[in-house]
Amino acid sequence: SSPQSIQSRNAILVSQRQKGNPLLKHIRNVRWAFADVVCDYLLGQNSCALYLSLRYHLLHPDYLYYRIRELQKNFKLRIVLCHVDVEDVVKPLLEVTKTALLHDCTLLCAWSLEECGRYLETIKVYENKPADLIQGQMDTDYLSRLTHALTSVRSVNKTDVVTLGSTFGSLSHIMDASMEDLARCPGIGERKVKRLYDTFHEPFKRVV
Amino acid sequence: MVLEFHQHIIAELLQEPNGGLVILSSGLSLPKLIASVLLLHSPSQGTLLLLSSSPNLKSQIIHYLTPNAPLLPSEITADLPANHRHTLYSSGQIFFVTPRILIVDLLTQRLPTSNLAGLIILNTHALTENSTETFICRIIKSLNREAYIRAFSDKPTAMVSGFAKTERIMKSLFIRKLHLWPRFQVNVSEELEREPPVVVDVRVSMSKYMGGIQKAILEVMDACLKEMRKTNKVDVEDLTVENGLFKSFDEILRRQLDPIWHILGKKTKQLVSDLKTLRKLLDYLVRYDAVTYLKYLDTLRVSESFRSVWIFAESSYKIFDYAKKRVYRFTRSDGVELNGQSKSVTGKKRKLKKVDNNEDEDGGTSSTSTKVVLEEVLEEAPKWKVLREVLEEIEEERLKQASSREEVLLDGEENDHGIVLVACKDECSCMQLEDCIRNGSEKVMREEWEKYLLSKVQLRSVQTSSKKKKSKEPKGYGILDGVAPVTTAQNAEASSVSKQEHDALLAAASKIRNQGKSDDGDNPKTYYGSKGPGRGRGKGRNRNGRACVPQCANKDSKNNSKAAIEDKPEISGSGNEGPADEIHSSVVGYSGGMLETAFVEKEVQWKRSLKNDTAESKDSKPLPPVHFYALESDQPILDILKPFVIVVYHPDMSFVRQIEVYKAENPSIKLKVYFLFYEDSTEVQKFEASIRRENGAFESLIRQKSFMMIPIDQDGHCLGLNSSTEAQATTSQNAITRKAGGRKEVEKEMQVIVDMREFMSSLPNVLHQRGMRIIPVVLEVGDYILSPLMCVERKSIQDLFTSFTSGRLYHQVETMVRYYRIPVLLIEFSQDKSFSFQSASDIGDDVTPNNIISKLSLLVLHFPRLRIIWSRSLHATAEIFAALKANQDEPDEAKAIRVGVPSEDGIVENDMRAENYNTSAVEFLRRLPGVTDSNYRSIMDGCKSLADLALLPVERLAELMGGQKAAQTLRDFLDAKYPTLL
Repeated sequence: SSPQSIQSRNAILVSQRQKGNPLLKHIRNVRWAFADVVCDYLLGQNSCALYLSLRYHLLHPDYLYYRIRELQKNFKLRIVLCHVDVEDVVKPLLEVTKTALLHDCTLLCAWSLEECGRYLETIKVYENKPADLIQGQMDTDYLSRLTHALTSVRSVNKTDVVTLGSTFGSLSHIMDASMEDLARCPGIGERKVKRLYDTFHEPFKRVV
Repeated sequence: MVLEFHQHIIAELLQEPNGGLVILSSGLSLPKLIASVLLLHSPSQGTLLLLSSSPNLKSQIIHYLTPNAPLLPSEITADLPANHRHTLYSSGQIFFVTPRILIVDLLTQRLPTSNLAGLIILNTHALTENSTETFICRIIKSLNREAYIRAFSDKPTAMVSGFAKTERIMKSLFIRKLHLWPRFQVNVSEELEREPPVVVDVRVSMSKYMGGIQKAILEVMDACLKEMRKTNKVDVEDLTVENGLFKSFDEILRRQLDPIWHILGKKTKQLVSDLKTLRKLLDYLVRYDAVTYLKYLDTLRVSESFRSVWIFAESSYKIFDYAKKRVYRFTRSDGVELNGQSKSVTGKKRKLKKVDNNEDEDGGTSSTSTKVVLEEVLEEAPKWKVLREVLEEIEEERLKQASSREEVLLDGEENDHGIVLVACKDECSCMQLEDCIRNGSEKVMREEWEKYLLSKVQLRSVQTSSKKKKSKEPKGYGILDGVAPVTTAQNAEASSVSKQEHDALLAAASKIRNQGKSDDGDNPKTYYGSKGPGRGRGKGRNRNGRACVPQCANKDSKNNSKAAIEDKPEISGSGNEGPADEIHSSVVGYSGGMLETAFVEKEVQWKRSLKNDTAESKDSKPLPPVHFYALESDQPILDILKPFVIVVYHPDMSFVRQIEVYKAENPSIKLKVYFLFYEDSTEVQKFEASIRRENGAFESLIRQKSFMMIPIDQDGHCLGLNSSTEAQATTSQNAITRKAGGRKEVEKEMQVIVDMREFMSSLPNVLHQRGMRIIPVVLEVGDYILSPLMCVERKSIQDLFTSFTSGRLYHQVETMVRYYRIPVLLIEFSQDKSFSFQSASDIGDDVTPNNIISKLSLLVLHFPRLRIIWSRSLHATAEIFAALKANQDEPDEAKAIRVGVPSEDGIVENDMRAENYNTSAVEFLRRLPGVTDSNYRSIMDGCKSLADLALLPVERLAELMGGQKAAQTLRDFLDAKYPTLL
């Protein structure tokens, strides 16, 4: 069973219920296979998706709720992939939003089957991807890296970074500075001194 | 002196104690009117607040108030402490305040409304039903019905955009009365036409090529509009060339296309942007000189994507061709015009030319000079000459008058300097015109030309260094031959020709560099190429500074010193013919330019075809003192300068009205106004159309006014928008059902805690309309707190995209997840734009990291607890909020403020991790280079604190971090010497 499980780990598992959904045509960048799963699309070990067309929702307003209930507590990420295929969206979308939100589901909206397919593909492909992409690219020069680190301490601003840098000469000296030395820097008030000092000297883990 | 019709307006306005909306023609001195209204205010009535004024309007109002008002209105800013603001609000004075500050002060009861006389809103045309201003009015009216609300606008055309806009705005501002004051209103026209100024209408004919360009642009524009009609997406009535001349045309298009933008094809979208480009081209044709225009076209050709429809339209090659011909042309040394052949482009001739080109290329590459000669044309703008003539005429007349009746001068002593005001569109034209008048137009053109060439040299050097020369050249230099790049052979010609130019220029530039001392090394990067232009500009500005242009005086002072330094070294080489061209002798400046041309002349054969060469300026006549005024700067220039003669260089409706008003106020001044129009140009068309459009807007407003329905209550107070009454109805209904439940519960109002910064958006207003209580506070985490568990971060589509790229959204979500059980991201679409991210056709074949789908998926994967709301519009958001709040507790203000804010000991309340971890240290650690998601835990296990970490040797770090490389990175960063700034 091991080759099969490897295969299934790299593929989206699709519930038999989705048979005939034209959406499947648009999953092209990732392999997929029918399987006996409780959700519509099994995207990873802990993540799954339910597909909902708004038009269908208008006919069967309770459908989503029952499907969500079926999922029980088996998944960390539960996606409701909502295909916006009606003109007048406000009311049905309000209902879907409310149901999804109050039952711990993440709502994703897509306006075409291509887009629906792309969401499924992306979530599968990015399963283990780090978040660098959305954490903002940082300048890699020394000063901006130093600023990035030091400004993580609340209320420390760019000017303070320059002050600290030019006073102490290097980051290790800043981290090793005494409270008095810190207090001697212009613009670093009592609070900032304490915050900086605590950040550097309080242990990472508070021992209870 | 107050204008009569202003008095009428004020009298009419004061009749209605509840206030009113005044719409008057643009240029009829709104600031003066406001100043007069403010003068009537007395502190006993209460405090008067002026909302949403632009800085220009503000300074003008203060300017007109200064001589008469006992106390000038001051500004309430966010810097003032709360209690101070409270006293100001109750002082009975007049204040400028921004809507954002005012609404927060109203909601936090920092403003005693009983003390409020009223509100004056200055930019009514910019409002919508959901603007913060309407929110303010609703609250004020609910607390103090006697306070008046007076709204003003001098942009009637903006008041008729959209369906019944004026009526809807009036309702939402609780205003019943509409006062319309068009220019054609009897009182206005009578007063302004009683003693009209003497008007001299000078029609300047455009040069042959200018006319040709204009015709070509209009043709292309028409073609684009025809294409647009074919798409059947836009109301055909709006698609006229005349409409296309105005900026508002884009708005018309966008309003119709936005809701379906995502289903539009690429071509339609491109057409929209092409029309915009074409409009700019028309505008610049009459504003820019020939060289600058060509330069603009060049950049356009480079930057416009190859998808542009218009660039390949049949007539558009003419635009490029003519624009080039206004500047230079190529002739063979035997006198045959090279480009003349290709002008009437037929298939055969192109082929012919191709052969030529190949020959040229061969010659060109082997840096010897060829038979091709670059002949400068440097056509000056026809208006320049006319302006000079007009000024000469004015001076002549002035001198005649002065000598004939010297005794009269005593009367108008402050006016006897009789400055002439020249009004043009922007600062840039001001400077150029001034330069023209002082130094002769030929020199100005030459300077522009040198700048142009040198910028080409720069471009060239950049491109050759990037080694992609071959592939890049066709794009960059296809322009030079003025023919759309169709075949590579043609481009080859262009590049070879430009190569000659550049070789010559490079030689000239380097020679100059060798001669000049290295003291201007302060600009090393652009030194090589831009020396010429830098100097040229320095000179120009320098002289401007001496002239009476107050607003650019300080700008110029910066350049003074630099220009001086740069000019000096060249004095020695100035000998030849420099001074001849000068009117106001500044020999130093000019010599540099001559020097350069001298070199260039040696390298290539240059011919000058400027007819009005040096001779013209020699016998130039004296000119009167001139002040150049940029219409864009929007200052009360007429009242400051009190000119007798005005030359309107770029006609502008609003400024014409200002002149009329100025004349009506100063009947004793014998005002003479010269209008300089290009004959048969879109300039005239646009000017006339702007008047027509405004009249049309007023006619439509008059019609609307006749069947406007503004509901009022028994006391004659305006009821405002329906939605607020609806909200009241629903809450009372709720009350009834609750009572039926048998419990006597106190009516509980829904509460939402809103971050102060969110008052830039209209959502708080709409929530309030729905009957929710809005509590403004400064929030560290989230934008809206709906319940103790639920926190919402709102992102408009645009915000969403930018905050994904900046990483801001990631961190916002991270903190929300940390402190709230139900963290929510609200993605808010705009009502009148399409409800989708992209059209199906824009979704590519692969998963690409930059697509919004990818980013959103990644966010969802990393924060599985994050909930997402997709909202169609503001109102839909309000619905959703109400639905979500239904089963939740009300949020706690005090708690919400504390969330995410560390207390004195650095411990953040409610932070699960904070009990066990020094969160600030962990965050700091994770931001250090070399530290990753996978190794930061083991680092924390291996050392006690950051201070501890700073002392660890690299070997130990390598153990903890699981790698030598990462350890070295971290160690290097810790020990790196902080760069000194000196």
